[in-house]
Order: sequence, then structure tokens, then C-alpha cells
Amino acid sequence: MKVTVCIGSSCHLKGSRAVVERLQQLVAEHDLKDRVELSGKFCMGNCRNGVSVTVDDELFSVSPETVDDFFKQNVLAKL
Amino acid sequence: MNDLCTDIGFVSVNKFGEQLCGDHVEVIDQSDDNHVVVLADGLGSGVKASILSTLTSTIISTMVANGMSLESCVDTIAATLPICEVRKVAYSTFTIVRTIDNREAEIIQYDNPKLILLRDGKSFDYPQTETKIDGKTIFKTKIDLHENDFLVFTSDGAIWAGVGTTMNFGWQREEIVEFLEKMVRPDFTAKTVSSLLLDECCRLYGGKPGDDTTVCTVKIRRRRSVNLLFGPPRDPKDVNKMMSLFFAKEGKHIVSGGTTSTLAGEYLGKPVETQLDYLDPDIPPIAKIEGVDLVTEGVITMSRVLEYANSYGETDSVYADWNVKEDGASRIARLLLEEATDVNFFVGTAINPAHQNPDLPINFNIKMHLVEELSERLKSLGKRVKVSYF
Repeated sequence: MKVTVCIGSSCHLKGSRAVVERLQQLVAEHDLKDRVELSGKFCMGNCRNGVSVTVDDELFSVSPETVDDFFKQNVLAKL
Repeated sequence: MNDLCTDIGFVSVNKFGEQLCGDHVEVIDQSDDNHVVVLADGLGSGVKASILSTLTSTIISTMVANGMSLESCVDTIAATLPICEVRKVAYSTFTIVRTIDNREAEIIQYDNPKLILLRDGKSFDYPQTETKIDGKTIFKTKIDLHENDFLVFTSDGAIWAGVGTTMNFGWQREEIVEFLEKMVRPDFTAKTVSSLLLDECCRLYGGKPGDDTTVCTVKIRRRRSVNLLFGPPRDPKDVNKMMSLFFAKEGKHIVSGGTTSTLAGEYLGKPVETQLDYLDPDIPPIAKIEGVDLVTEGVITMSRVLEYANSYGETDSVYADWNVKEDGASRIARLLLEEATDVNFFVGTAINPAHQNPDLPINFNIKMHLVEELSERLKSLGKRVKVSYF
């Protein structure tokens, strides 16, 4: 599974870094390094609803507050 | 015209407790390739010294730049400077370096520590002729310059550093030469070399300089262009035109901006590989595109670059954070401030609607303002700057 976080200007200001770091933590905690590939992308063209995150090709809006729920519902549940 | 240029950088510290510096450096650019640099050290310290050295350097540089002979310069100074009540003399010591076409230098020295010419990492012993004007002994040198020659000259505060504290007799010219031969690498800028030496003097003085100390370096270097692409063009039809002009330029290429890097990747037919390493917590990570030297996020990174550019030269330390860090802003700062002699900005004026949110500090005006301020700052640092808007 490929999880991509937008790190463009707008998403950066809305907390990309916190989202990336929390996702890295969660992936490590669940020992999913081999199954979940985390990557970044500059601007997904969805700046208004940042932080933009895609799981495979599906687009989500995540914030540092919702990242744990997002991980449960859209990463863990779908593996 | 040749592809060399002259890089001039100087730094000073005041005598401990003084508000004013008694040394003064005056630089006159007669053209891109001809410069006159005068370092004057006024007698004593404080306001009197400051006035003497400012007058001396300004008079000499203006007169030399206008082709007057050295004799008349010295006469004028003798006739103009106010006489010190205590010492009954009116002068300041000086060093004049005049570069011609970046290939030749005329060096005139009066009573300052003898200029050090570093060539291929070693001190080069240059010939001098002695002249007496008004009872003052003046040394003249005319010499051909090579790429990466460093001409380092100082006020006498440099050689008194450490007298009576860390060393008995200060450090002499030989020790300064040894220090420079050991420390200076060919890619250092004039400013870096000056700061290195001045920092060492301050260290020897134990942080309390016993005299005003100034170090000035003139370096002959090859011109280097750095090109920076910032923002997509207003009319999407112009993307190809903008990209082809940008990539046709000689020198290094920086692409700054999310959408901009996507467009550059498409133009080159190469993927944009983003990294997730936050080397600086506030600066978005950089990316890689084959064929581009550096790919970064846009406005946030460039705002930081502007901060670095504005503090460049204000703080005298060479050991600024951005000198060693690897985040996008530090890397752009190194390329623009240290490596480039010529900077070409390719600025796209498309408005990103998502950035026009008043809560975000990244709107269009801020972006345009960034470019203007940065290019002004780079110009004031002596670089040739060209800005093209698309």
C-alpha cells in the first residue's frame, strides 16, 4: 500500500510535518514497514482541503488531530 | 571582457568599548571589471579616528577612481585632514587595491600591515617599489592576477591581536600567513576569508579587541550563474516557453515551488521524487528531478532564503547555520549567496487560488514581494541579477 502525504506550501502550513511524523510512528508501531510505503509529494492540486493524503489513489484530507483515526480507518482496515 | 570577476568582502570589529570604528573601507566599482578598494586606519580610535579614516578612504578612492595620480591624492589628504591636537599630525594609514579587468592589480600601501597575496594556497611574494611622497614611504606594486588569487589586507589591529594576553607580541605577518595557508580553500568567498581571519583575531584578543580591527579580502574568481525557477506562468500556454528558456541557461538550475516542480518534471519527462526528511522542522523537504540541481517547495522556503540573505553580512560570523545545513532554504542560500555571481530569476505570475486564503502567509503579493526584495539584496551584494516574469 502506498500512502503519500502532500508537503506543498499550503499543506505544510496546515501541518504536513506533524502528519508525516505521526504516520511514520504509527507505521513503525504496527510493524508495517514492509507493507506500507510512505512518501511525499509536492502539491496534489487540493490545497484548500489540506493536508492532502492519498492511499493508493484515493484522496483524503487529514489534519494532525485526525491522523490517528485516518490511519485506523483507511490504512489498517484496508491492509 | 573575460569570465572572471572580483569578489570583495570586508569585516571590522571596534576596539573594546568604542562605539565607532576607526578603520574604514571604501569600495568604488568603476565598472563590473574595475574596482578600487581603500582600507584606511585612522590614528587612535573613536570618533577622531573614524573621521580621519572615512575622509582618507573616500578622498583616495574617489580620486584614484577618477584617474588622479597618487601624488595628488596624498597631497590632498595632507592638506585636507584635520590635525590631531595631541599628536600634531593628521593622517591615517591606508592600503589601496585597484583591479583592472579582473586580471591585473595595482597595490599601494602606506604603513598598514603588508598585504598578503594567496595564490594556489600559498603566500606569494610580490615585488614592491618604494616611493617617497611628502616624507612618507609608500610601496607600489603592479601585478597580474590569476583565478582564485586572494588579496588579504588588514588594519594593524590584526597584528596586535593577543598582545599581552594570549601571546607576548601579538601574531606577526608570518603567523597570519600560516593561518591563512592552513584555513583558506579555493572555493571560499572573500567575505568568508575576511570573517575567518577576523574571528581568529577576536579569539586572540579574548573577545575584547585592543584596537579597531578590519580585514578586507579581494578575490578573483570565475563567474558562475545560478538560475532559479519560481512559480508557474500566468498563461498555461507559456509553460514550454518558460521551461525552455530556463533550461537553456548555463549554470545551476533551482526549481522552487510544488506546481512548478511538477511542470518542470513533465517538461523534462522525469519523475519528481519527493523526500520526507525534515532537516529543518519549518522548511518542507526537498525533492529530486533528474537534470535539476535542486528542487524545493516555494514560498516558505524562499521566505527563509530572504531572511538568510538579509542577515548575510550583518552578522560577521561565517558559521551561519545555513552554511552547513542541508534543508532546501540553506541549500538555495548557499547557491545564491556564496556560489553565484550571476543570478537569473524566472518568475511565474500564476495565482494559486488556494494560496489567496487570508489565513495563509503565502499569497501572491507576498510571493512577488519576495522576489523583488531578494533580487535587490543580491544586487547590493554585487551580483548581476536578472528577473524575467512569465
